[in-house]
Amino acid sequence: MIFIHFALRNIRAYAVRSLVTILLLSLTTAMLVFATAFMDGSHDKMLSNAVEIYPGYIQITHPDFRAKPSLDNLIFDVEAVARAVAATPGIAAAAPRFETFVLFAADEKAVGGMLSGIDFAAERRLSRLASSRTTGRYPEDGDGNQLYLGYELARRLQVEVGDELAFVGTGADYSFAADNLEVVGIFRTGLFDFDATAAFVGKDYFDGVMAATNYATHFIVQPEDPHAADQVTAALNERLGRHYVAESWRTTMEGLVQAMLVDSIFGYLTLAVIFVVIFFVVLIYTWLTVFARMREIGVLRAVGTRPGQILQMLVAESALLALAGVVLGGMIGAGLAWYFHLHPITLAMSEEVFKQYGLAASSMPTTFAPLIILRDMAMMFVLAVLSTLYPIIKANRVKPIEAIHHV
Amino acid sequence: MDTSFLEIRRVGKIFSPHQNVEVRALSDIDLAIRRGEFAVLSGPSGSGKTTLLNIIGGLDSASSGTVLLDGIQVTDLGEKRLSALRRDHIGFVFQAYNLIPVLTARENIEYVMRLQGHSAAACDRRSQEVAAKLEIAELLDKLPNQLSGGQQQRVAVARAVAGKPKLILADEPTANLDSKSAANLMDMMQQLNEEEGITIIFSSHDPLVISKAKHSIVLRDGKVVANEHLD
Repeated sequence: MIFIHFALRNIRAYAVRSLVTILLLSLTTAMLVFATAFMDGSHDKMLSNAVEIYPGYIQITHPDFRAKPSLDNLIFDVEAVARAVAATPGIAAAAPRFETFVLFAADEKAVGGMLSGIDFAAERRLSRLASSRTTGRYPEDGDGNQLYLGYELARRLQVEVGDELAFVGTGADYSFAADNLEVVGIFRTGLFDFDATAAFVGKDYFDGVMAATNYATHFIVQPEDPHAADQVTAALNERLGRHYVAESWRTTMEGLVQAMLVDSIFGYLTLAVIFVVIFFVVLIYTWLTVFARMREIGVLRAVGTRPGQILQMLVAESALLALAGVVLGGMIGAGLAWYFHLHPITLAMSEEVFKQYGLAASSMPTTFAPLIILRDMAMMFVLAVLSTLYPIIKANRVKPIEAIHHV
Repeated sequence: MDTSFLEIRRVGKIFSPHQNVEVRALSDIDLAIRRGEFAVLSGPSGSGKTTLLNIIGGLDSASSGTVLLDGIQVTDLGEKRLSALRRDHIGFVFQAYNLIPVLTARENIEYVMRLQGHSAAACDRRSQEVAAKLEIAELLDKLPNQLSGGQQQRVAVARAVAGKPKLILADEPTANLDSKSAANLMDMMQQLNEEEGITIIFSSHDPLVISKAKHSIVLRDGKVVANEHLD
C-alpha cells in the first residue's frame, strides 16, 4: 500500500508530467478506438451496401450454375426449394429470381441489359430496390408488363416514367421472347454497373412471357441474423441435398471478401505502426521522467528500499497514469464512435473510389461496439505499461550511490 | 564496549573514470569502530572520506578488502540483502539532506519504519518521539521545500534514527548549514548517540564536528594517517 500511496503522491507532485502523460495516452487511445470503429464501420457499410442492395446474404442455385450460368442449369422446381427454405430455421425471408440478358429498345436507342422476374412484395424484405426508387412507383403484385428500371439504363435508353420500350430475349425453353414494357418506376442504388443494366418485372408476368413457370436462376435468402449467414447456409445445404446448393455472400461475393481482407490488412498495418510509435513515445517520455528522478531513486535505495519495491512503485505510478489516460481516451474515442455512428462521416469527394469497392454511398457510419472499445483500451493499457518497463528496469539497475549523484 | 562492531580490513577502492585511467581512492584501510562510538572521519577534500562511508554502508562496492558490520560481511552481500541491511541496521544522513520531495517530514521519517513493516500507529509514535528530540514536532506536516536547510537536515537525522539502526553514517551533515544550525544539529546527534546507543560515524572537515568526536580518524590520499580514541 505504501507504494501505491507514494505513486499517487508522485502523480500529484509532478502534475505537469502526469497531465502530459495522461493527455498523450488519452489522445492515442481515442485515435485507436476511433480508427477501429471507422475501419469496422466501413467494412459493415461495404458489406451491407454490396449485399443488401441486391445480391443478398445467401443464394441457392443449381450446383453447376455458378460455373456455367446457362438455361440448362436452372432451378427447375421452385416449389421444392421453397419448401426446403420454409423448413429451415433462422430465415426471415426468401424468394426466387429469374435473371436473363435481353436487348431493350426504345424510340431512338437499343441497349443490352438484364431483365429479372422477381416477387416485388418479397423483395421489400430481401433487397433495397424499393427504397432506391427515384421517380414513378415501385411495382406491386398484380402488375403485368410494368417495368422497374435502373436509372443509368433509363438514361441510356432515353426513357422516363410512362414511356414504353420493347425487349427481345430467350425464354427458359430457348424460345424467342419479346414484348412491350411500360416504365412505371426508376431506381438508383448508386452502384453504377447495376443501375446501368438492371430492369425488373413481376415474376408471374416474367414466367408467362419467358416460359419460366416454377423455374428460377436462383433463390435469394435473408437470414434473421446476417452474422449467422454461414450457419443458415449450412443448414440449408443439409435440407437441399445434392440437387441444389446454398452459398453465403462469402462465396458469391469473393471480390468483396478479398477487398475487405486487403482493407483489413492495411488497416491493421496502420494500427501496428501507430502502436510502435505510441510504444516508443511513451518509452522515451518515461525514460526522461524516470532519469530526472534518479536522485530520488538513489535515496530510496540508500534507505533500504529493494529494487523490486522501486519497480513496484514506478510501475504502479505508470499503471495509474495509463489507466487514467486510457479511460479518458476510451471515453473520447467511444463518444466519437457513437456520434459518427449516428451521424455518418460523408466523404463526397471519394464517391468514385467508393464505387470501386462496391459502396453505393459515400457516407461512413462508424461501428459502436463496447466490447471492441474495451479490447482496444485494454491493449493500450498493456502497451503503455510495457513501454515503461525498460526505462524503469534500467534506472533500477544503477548503483544507489551513482543514482544519488546522477545529474 | 564491543571491539568487533565494525571492522574494516585492507579496504581499497579504485575508480576508472575512463578506459586505461585508474584513480586509487582508498588504499588498504584498516579500521575498527566500537559499538556506540561517536567517530569522525576527517581529512581534506578527495582524501576518501565519502568513499569509505559509502563502502561501509553498502552504497558502493570495495575493489578489495572486507567490511564486517556486527559480524555481517557487508562486502559479500547481494543487492537484495544489502537493501535489507541498510533498511534494518544503517541510517544515512547526507550532506544535501536528500529528503523525498513529495513526502511530508512525517512521511519521510516514517518511510524506513514502513519498509521495516511497522504498523501505522507504531510509526506515528516513533516519529513523534524522534521529532520531539530533534525539536521538529511542529514541522511534521510540511513538505521538504517548506523547510529551511537546518530543519531539513534535522528531518533527515530523524529519518536515519527512526528505524532504530545500529549505525548512522553521516556524510558532511553540517556542510550546508550555518554555524548555529550546525552546532544545534551536532548537540542533538550527540544526545541521540548517548540516549539511543547508536554508533555514529561522520565524515567532515568542520572543526566543530571534529571537536565532538570520541574517535578521530584522519584520512589523506586514501590512507589512514591518524586514528585516535579521545575518550
